[in-house]
Amino acid sequence: MQVQVKLFAFFREGRFIKEDKELPTGTTAGQVVDDLNIDREEVGVLMLNSRHCKFETVLQEGDIYAIFPVIGGG
Amino acid sequence: MVVDTKVILSFLSKHAQGKCIGLVELQKAAGTFDCPLRDIETIALSHSILPARFQRNGLSCSDQLKLFRSKVAIIGCGGLGGRTAELLARTGVGHLILTDPDVFSESNLNRQIFCTTETLGCNKVDIVGRELQKINPVLQTDLHVSPLNTLSINGADIVIDALDSATARKKLSALCRKHSIPMIHGAVKKWCGQVGIEQSANGLIDTLYHQTTENTLPPHVLPVTASLVASLQATEACKLILETGSPLRDGWLQCDLLYSDYERIKTGIC
Repeated sequence: MQVQVKLFAFFREGRFIKEDKELPTGTTAGQVVDDLNIDREEVGVLMLNSRHCKFETVLQEGDIYAIFPVIGGG
Repeated sequence: MVVDTKVILSFLSKHAQGKCIGLVELQKAAGTFDCPLRDIETIALSHSILPARFQRNGLSCSDQLKLFRSKVAIIGCGGLGGRTAELLARTGVGHLILTDPDVFSESNLNRQIFCTTETLGCNKVDIVGRELQKINPVLQTDLHVSPLNTLSINGADIVIDALDSATARKKLSALCRKHSIPMIHGAVKKWCGQVGIEQSANGLIDTLYHQTTENTLPPHVLPVTASLVASLQATEACKLILETGSPLRDGWLQCDLLYSDYERIKTGIC
């Protein structure tokens, strides 16, 4: 299945801004985070088709999946 | 001395140039009538006489009066808080509450507007308060050299979250919800920042920091990022005061200066 993955802020460094990915059926949001070598502790918000989702959420064909880091400085 | 407002107004009108009046004339009126400078400013603004220091804002006297009568609490006086305070003082917000327990250290020099080689080791709140008086002598400030506490937001119309810890942000968010005060959130890291408004229990902070554990090391923050996010926070504060409405009331703005990418995200449904 094809899913569009969007990365935000410093998650883009050395990776990409937006990419269409071919993923096996049943892939979860968390597995994509792991495959991108992103530490789950650094993840702030996950959004699937503009709605919040969890690491356990199973992705579907045609989904748009966005990963935001925690930004905490002041 | 009790003086009729009409007498003071007559003095102000006489000393105004067109519809504007200088700070020296306002201070002269305060001295002549033994009246607090803030009261003189209120009389001027209420009668369409604009203090010259706000002339270039291009706002109406009634908008300037709304700003002057508003009270904004700034929690954290570092990279975000110091700059936001400066911008609000220059725009004409009349009353600021400043809270921060820290002193300026050398690593603050890259981004904190009131941190200079001369202020190292000084309490941030004391220095920011002092410098703001030089910018806007009519500004009232309440200074708290302490961590966040209930006094930090006492009577505030708006709260600025300029903190640097998720735990403190959650505490501030809970306090603001309890007192029904809108909170303007800002945060920065490297080239990236975010700004949003938490109000009416929209759950912004819980959304952004739901699973956060604290970083042991302070994050890297570029001065350009801090300056941009602070400007956006000050902007949103002014818009709330002036009741212009804002698309950020139900989400946040994600800023990526490295890729020149700015995206507004709606707080979605879990």
